[in-house]
Amino acid sequence: MPITYADFPYLSSILLSCVGGLLIILFIPKDKKDTIKQVSAVCSGITLLISVYLFFAYDKTQGGLQFVEKFQWIPSLGITYFNGADGFGLPMLLLTGIVFFTAVLTMWELQTRVKEFFALLFLLVAGVFGLFMSMDLFFIFIWYDVSLFPMYLLIAVWGSTRKEYAAMKLTLYLLAGSALILPAIIYLVVKSGLHTFDLVALMQPGTFSPFQQKFAFLLLYIGFGILAGVWPFHTWSPTGHVAAPTAVSMVHAGVLMKIGAFGVLRVAIFLCPEGWQYWAHLMALLAVIGIVYGVFVGLSQTDLKFVIGYSSVSHMGIVGLGLATVTVEGLNGAVFQMFAHGVMTALFFSSVGYIYDRTHTKAIADLGGLSRIMPVATGYLIVAALTGIGVPCLASFWAELTVFISSFKVYPIYGTLAVCALVVSALFILRVVQRTCYGPKNERFADLEDVSFRLGIPRMILVSIIVFFGLFPNVMLNMIQTASIPFISGLP
Amino acid sequence: MMSWIIFSPEFYFLMMGTVFLCLSMVRRVRPEQVYFIALILASLGVGVCLACVRLTGDLFFGAYRIDLFSQVFKVMLSMGLFLVLCLCTELDGIEERFHPEFYFLLTICTLSMMMLVSSVHLLTIFVALELSSYSLYTLVFLRKGRERGIDAGIKYFLIGASASAMMLFGFALLYGSIQAAYLVEILKILPGILNRPVVIIALILLLSGFFFKLAVFPFHFWAPDVYESAANQVTTYIATASKVAAIAILMRIVALSGGGSTYLVHILVTLSIVSMTIGNLAAVVQKDLKRLLAYSSIAHAGYVLIGILSMNPAGYSGAIFYALSLLMMKFTCFLVVVKVADDGRNLDIEQLAGLHRRSPILAMALMLALFGLAGIPPTIGFTGKLLIFTAAMQKGYFTLVLIAMINVVISLYYYLLVVKAAYLLEPEKELPDLQVSPSIKVLAGLLIFGMVVGGIFPNYIIELSRAAAMVLL
Repeated sequence: MPITYADFPYLSSILLSCVGGLLIILFIPKDKKDTIKQVSAVCSGITLLISVYLFFAYDKTQGGLQFVEKFQWIPSLGITYFNGADGFGLPMLLLTGIVFFTAVLTMWELQTRVKEFFALLFLLVAGVFGLFMSMDLFFIFIWYDVSLFPMYLLIAVWGSTRKEYAAMKLTLYLLAGSALILPAIIYLVVKSGLHTFDLVALMQPGTFSPFQQKFAFLLLYIGFGILAGVWPFHTWSPTGHVAAPTAVSMVHAGVLMKIGAFGVLRVAIFLCPEGWQYWAHLMALLAVIGIVYGVFVGLSQTDLKFVIGYSSVSHMGIVGLGLATVTVEGLNGAVFQMFAHGVMTALFFSSVGYIYDRTHTKAIADLGGLSRIMPVATGYLIVAALTGIGVPCLASFWAELTVFISSFKVYPIYGTLAVCALVVSALFILRVVQRTCYGPKNERFADLEDVSFRLGIPRMILVSIIVFFGLFPNVMLNMIQTASIPFISGLP
Repeated sequence: MMSWIIFSPEFYFLMMGTVFLCLSMVRRVRPEQVYFIALILASLGVGVCLACVRLTGDLFFGAYRIDLFSQVFKVMLSMGLFLVLCLCTELDGIEERFHPEFYFLLTICTLSMMMLVSSVHLLTIFVALELSSYSLYTLVFLRKGRERGIDAGIKYFLIGASASAMMLFGFALLYGSIQAAYLVEILKILPGILNRPVVIIALILLLSGFFFKLAVFPFHFWAPDVYESAANQVTTYIATASKVAAIAILMRIVALSGGGSTYLVHILVTLSIVSMTIGNLAAVVQKDLKRLLAYSSIAHAGYVLIGILSMNPAGYSGAIFYALSLLMMKFTCFLVVVKVADDGRNLDIEQLAGLHRRSPILAMALMLALFGLAGIPPTIGFTGKLLIFTAAMQKGYFTLVLIAMINVVISLYYYLLVVKAAYLLEPEKELPDLQVSPSIKVLAGLLIFGMVVGGIFPNYIIELSRAAAMVLL
């Protein structure tokens, strides 16, 4: 893999603006809520700008790892501070930047314990950014955990609907994942005999025997898969999404679940390609069960956020199916789907969050006729719903199409099942839209305000990104290909 | 004469003990004065230990060794004493007239533990261990409100005495089979005859004395009651300094077996797994914070054993690192206990309610310490676990590491319950902000800083503990 060192530490500056933002917030007195929000907006805006710049500054003809920063961190253990961006990492960095910035703007109306909320949110996002850019196993694990433990407080303090139960369940599930990941990482590092946590050094072919790869892959796949919402380890995710406050749901469903899928890709697949090929069928099976199961459970939900939660399970199944095909198209589709689904759920939760803040109910039965009360707010909801179904010209369409094409080639039966499930998902999402936005209007909510322009900014950003990548999917696919083609052609 | 310089930390603490012995005979001294003297002397003691870190040598006909290993632990012990004394501003758990005795016993206990980590002869080990145990028994008795202290004190004493008896029996068997009492000589003979049943039994019996100190299953029964019934400051001392000493001597003894026999390793693996599982499962249902921390100590004893039973340099250095991290994290928890229970009472977990408002810095320190105990990065506790698990993995103990990680997840549950109490629960009636003196705030800030830096830049400590561990082999 060609490595190009950075002339300026772009990647570290992303982290620095998160950590710096966190520290600044900690030193602002807690009554100055507006200052805190402004600082958060500025710092998250910087991360967005840098990630957009990196996305377009990446040299696609050269490929490989670029913007690399590398120096010894703990020499006695062989740990290096090693950041780099490639065709898999950059879409995720861009996604994190977008979701983070829009999540901060979405929480502009927050009034309770503002300081702590934004401080924890910054910590969470620092972990997410770190994981997407790190190329050292030690740091990948550190960032993984850093992004998890603020979740407990974020959900338990600011959440709703059985928040303490959901927070505890989520934290324990995800930490159970890390209980599998850490032994697997240590196992690989020790067995390699290289005395290093450097991912690039460890992924040289021939470092691990086929048995070691199969063994470690399974642990890593389940460990990271828990976070990616792989069936049957997905149950934390709908409860967690429902309980979390809006911004946290956005970051969580939008970005955090991608950490799991990205971990499977970056750690499990990169280090154990033979294990990947060996277990691919199992991955495909679990993914398809997830797709079908998510859709059918979603059909019977009465809570708006639960609907999105289960549709997330189903959509993350598509990512898993893409990864399981072991083809270039599959990888392209999977990474694209991670990106598209991230933006889409962020928009979904953001619009539902607005409705919930006004109506104080998420029960579908209580809502109705909202499109006549708040046409703009429901507009965002409908765009998100259409993206979820995979309507052409919106980002998800291309992602799902790529995955389905490749899965038809490799697993015809699973591919058919997944496409059929997609039809059902159209049914259940449209039904939700119909019941909340149309039909008789609930008089209780008749005089609620619509989304103001200022509050609408984050949603508009999200919609425009969905449409942009729906119209120009090649911008994203060309990027991902710079990583997926060399990787697949390098397989033994 | 020059060679006695290497004995200066012990001399210093002996002098310090004498000062308090004299003070205990003077009736007209105010508690604040005693406290002030104690704090100054203890901080100087840390300095003395730091100054002597690089000294090496032998004393008392080779029965007492000063090396990097012992000196590093002496620094930790003196730090432990100093930190515990920092908490003694309101020593409400102990009657005022006993304050000089309290400081005296604490100093002597530290002194004897310092001797313990330097002992390389079976007799000096036994003498030092008993001296420290007896000081602790008395300290537990000193709790105000007699019944409580006496009940736990007697339990502590009885279990301790029987553990000592078993240890003596182990000494006798070991001496009987190899006719050597110097650890250096034992080290030469022991690995060759390690598969003899009598030697294995001797080693296990011998280790039980230290298992008692470390609260490893099956010698853990005293821990919850003693933690609950002793005065908060005494509990802090037992949970921090005394554990550090126990880890040190356990390493010295286990290192004797060289590569280790399979029997010994199997027994240690079993004890480690049972300790951490029992500790973590029992901690889940605790209501009293000190009891919870007691069970978490039992679990941590299990984790430390993983490093020790790996019997490789990485394992020993991991255990040394872990000892330091435990010292910091446990102390931070007890700092919060002592400050929130400002009248010296015991603290229920629910009484932490509203801590995030009453004292943000204490709440933050508590949260970081608990996450550290649960082994979540980027805290010092994670680095310790990583070192220990890597060492075990080098020996191929994959299942052991997996079981330990599952235990970590269980432990996270009850640590989160405590975090929840501090950050989520609101007290039933409005409580005033905690009066936390600036010095305690600085101390809490330093601990937070230390725990995070130990997690992010642990390189120096790792190098130091590795150098200290090399001395053992």
